[in-house]
Amino acid sequence: MKRWTKVMTGAAAIALATAGCAGSGGTDTGGDTAEGGDRTLTVWLMDGSAPEPLTDALHSEFEQAHDGVTIKYEVQPWNGIQDKLTTALASQNPPDVIELGNTQAPSFAAEGVLTDLSGDVDSLNGDQWLDSLKASGEWDGKQFSTPFYAANREVIYRTDMFEQAGITAPPTSRQEWLDAIAKLDAKFGSDPQFQPLYLPGQNWYALLSFIWDEGGDIATKDGTTFTAALTTEEAKAGLEFYKQLVDVSGTTAPKDNDEQNPVQAGVFGQGKVAMMIGLPWEVATATEDAPDLKDKISAFPIPSKNAGETAPVFQGGSNLAIPVNSANADLAKEYLKLLLSEKYQTMLAEAGMVPGASTDLSPLEANPVSKAMAEAAKNGRAVPATPAWAAIEAGQNPLKDMLTAYLTGAKSLDQATADANAALDAAFSSGA
Amino acid sequence: MTTTAQVTVPAGTTPPAPPRAGRPRRAGLGERTIPYLLLAPAVVTILVLLGWPALQVVGISFRRLDLGELVRGEVVWIGLDNYRAVLSDPEVWTVVLRTVVFTAAVVAATVLLGLLLAILMRHLAAGVRTAVQVCLVLAWATPILATTTVFQWIFDQQYGILNKTLVKLGFDSFAGFSWFSSGASTMTVIGLLIVWQAVPFVCFTIYAGLLTAPRELYEAASMDGASPWQAFTTVSWPSIRPLVMLATFLSVIWDFKVFAQVWAIRQGGPDGGSTTLPVLLYLKGIASRHFGLASAIAVLMILVLLVLTARYLQLLLRSKEGDLS
Amino acid sequence: MNKTMGQRVALNTVGVLVAVLFAFPTYWMITSAFKPSVELLTPDYDLIPLSVTFDNFVTAINHPGFTVHLTNSLIVTLGAVACSLVAGVLAAFPLARLRFRGRKGFLLLVLIAQMAPMEALFIPMFLLMQDAGLLNQLPSLLLVYFAMTLPFTVWTLRGFVQGIPFELEEAAMVDGCGRFAAFRRVILPLLGPGLVATSVFAFITAWNEFLYALVFMRDSDKQTLPVWLSSFRTVFGTDWGAIMASSVLYALPALVFFMIVQRKLVSGMTAGALKG
Repeated sequence: MKRWTKVMTGAAAIALATAGCAGSGGTDTGGDTAEGGDRTLTVWLMDGSAPEPLTDALHSEFEQAHDGVTIKYEVQPWNGIQDKLTTALASQNPPDVIELGNTQAPSFAAEGVLTDLSGDVDSLNGDQWLDSLKASGEWDGKQFSTPFYAANREVIYRTDMFEQAGITAPPTSRQEWLDAIAKLDAKFGSDPQFQPLYLPGQNWYALLSFIWDEGGDIATKDGTTFTAALTTEEAKAGLEFYKQLVDVSGTTAPKDNDEQNPVQAGVFGQGKVAMMIGLPWEVATATEDAPDLKDKISAFPIPSKNAGETAPVFQGGSNLAIPVNSANADLAKEYLKLLLSEKYQTMLAEAGMVPGASTDLSPLEANPVSKAMAEAAKNGRAVPATPAWAAIEAGQNPLKDMLTAYLTGAKSLDQATADANAALDAAFSSGA
Repeated sequence: MTTTAQVTVPAGTTPPAPPRAGRPRRAGLGERTIPYLLLAPAVVTILVLLGWPALQVVGISFRRLDLGELVRGEVVWIGLDNYRAVLSDPEVWTVVLRTVVFTAAVVAATVLLGLLLAILMRHLAAGVRTAVQVCLVLAWATPILATTTVFQWIFDQQYGILNKTLVKLGFDSFAGFSWFSSGASTMTVIGLLIVWQAVPFVCFTIYAGLLTAPRELYEAASMDGASPWQAFTTVSWPSIRPLVMLATFLSVIWDFKVFAQVWAIRQGGPDGGSTTLPVLLYLKGIASRHFGLASAIAVLMILVLLVLTARYLQLLLRSKEGDLS
Repeated sequence: MNKTMGQRVALNTVGVLVAVLFAFPTYWMITSAFKPSVELLTPDYDLIPLSVTFDNFVTAINHPGFTVHLTNSLIVTLGAVACSLVAGVLAAFPLARLRFRGRKGFLLLVLIAQMAPMEALFIPMFLLMQDAGLLNQLPSLLLVYFAMTLPFTVWTLRGFVQGIPFELEEAAMVDGCGRFAAFRRVILPLLGPGLVATSVFAFITAWNEFLYALVFMRDSDKQTLPVWLSSFRTVFGTDWGAIMASSVLYALPALVFFMIVQRKLVSGMTAGALKG
């Protein structure tokens, strides 16, 4: 026992000594101190956001440019990230750079736990920022997070089926879209499992497009307060168009569930579906077990009611932020500067995402599926930038309930929109 | 086959009296400290790791503790505001009532099924019994992420095996039937899921209790010409009664608190129709990061649970020895 | 209590039916693990899978971190089970058999300790572990799971001790055994099935816990299997086939654990009883 204590004390002493050496001239806490010496920058990015070649290149470039700085890069899973971020931000050693879902960003900003970046917008490539993500990063007139990347939905379709049905060009208006559905139905409708368009009842992202396209919105903004606007004629028209699509396409997708349950790409991959409204990377899921579909898939932007335009789309994506109690905010800003520079934003685009800090979308044009997304991205929109939205999306989304109730006939259009409107207003007032 | 510890239970005697605490006796100091020494590890663990955090939850329920306060380490007392916010919501009493009814139904089903199954297991051939046990353990051990998903698939409106099977059996009205479009049927599916995962525990506990009743007692009872029902009431029941009560009590607590399953199925929807108190806690408190509010709901939950289990606790306190058997 | 052939067959048929009913969701999970992802939900009637693939299992096993997370899970879970059983047995005996001041108070403490919702406890618990300097270390999880399962273990084992007729113990003591020896030779063997039930409970509770594992363990190589399992859900969608395959792998240790304790303890019990 005694000998062990001695060994342990000895080891501890050595550890302290080496730690002391490492910090140049500092005391024995060499690690994370702000001035000079060895520092560690902890970066949390989400699972699947930045491709590995990008982060590898980025981190080696950053470490080379900053002597004595090590990047501790930790990829975070999406599941439970809210709870994990909460505790991590409250801990004694919070991460220095974090990625936030764009719909979550306002709630973190409103809590005052993010570093104010208003003064750094210019140095962070601010003139190239994607509008919708810039808006998600703002709170009370200040910029608390920067855009990272975004993606938006589009109509993914089977080129072979379109050809066989005699559809020569992808639809560019709602009417053409409905015509295409009719043509597909005429051609393949004899197969009871065939669906011209797979559209589950709760794809509220698609609904947002239709409502915006009608000139409506889910809420109107007054300063930092929001008021639900689902009872407007425009919103109702958007909902009616949704129902029209469901009806004419005769989709057998569940009316009481969203595009994740069942995974719509899986249904698409079974080969009996001509179109679905989804994100570019759903193509990979669809073709995973059906490789022969690979060169038969393309995409077009969600058509607008105004011929020749594309419908506005919800831009989902991520923002980047620096926790307010980060000990390395200066380094973190340097890091953001590099990540938001043209080089790495181009790499993001090449990986198939809409870059958050570059208006150059040309790298996306190599692939028809990403090209359609890039086209629609110009018309990208965001959900209300209110702290309340995080909770709405995390749980009971009134838009989903509204869709199911209306589509199944459980409620009339007026009733469904009125109920959802009340639920949204309640959420807006309680969440803030 | 001479057996257990020389208990001779002469035919005709009543089965052993219900267990009771050891008779009082004058004990020396050493003897008197023994119980405390034996209890020490459990007491310390429970006080430090459950009691202390629980006490803090009560404290937090009187504070505003959003993410900002948490990160800055601020302590902001706001009195009863959190409670006011929770209780002024007209929905909250609906949710409390729904949670209570749901708990009662699920607990009743679980305990009854578990009890019947435990009795049944005694009478099965060894092979069949092992099969039943393996199936129960699998139901119990399957990760929640998998079970909630599998249940959603089984009950899927279009492609679910249940609707497809019902249609095949001739119930055509189930083609495209939506199990999740109303709160009541959503709660039913969630209830089935929870009963399915909760029965194994109750069943194993009670079955274990049945096994501890010495076989000789059964033999004695059967020699007396007791009917199976009499054998059950006189021999089995006394040995499992505390366990059945225990299983009921624990089931009440667990099923009342169950969150992951309810949340995963429909996040408390549609239209809030399957929102229970834990879902409310998560939705209003954790997801929106109002931890003071979350704590107030947690305290409310504990209070409701105390009311629900009051009878059991009362029995515990009143009984002279603190026994419940 | 001899039954006729007919009764026997009837009872066993019910047994088989129950087994089938209880196995169905598990069966569905297992078949889903063998289905290609496009067939997970299909309009065709697929009570028996239409085609079989091992791809999902390959994906699952090759998903980074499986062995590390499995090891972490086993350490934390088995550690918590062991602590919980030892502390539980120690506490159960005096609670069931002895009378002392503070007994009722402790019983109440154990009961009420289980009422607090764990979702609300995680902030104070996190701060506690941070103060103790245990964050990001496996012992913190072990302690939490120990605490989570302990009240139940104490309470259940107490029930089992109570269920053992006092006369058995008395007889042993009359035979000249001390109280401890009586406990070891009479009660402990009879506790076998109770230990099975409680240890399986503790195992499964700890094995499945997600929130605390996620929040306490910052480094990914310290995570446990439930966190690993959830990492199949990404922003690009969810690989359900792989989740089902992983879930099959994931449920197996619990089953193995059950089989081992079941055999050990039930046979131990019979042996103990026979020895008298």
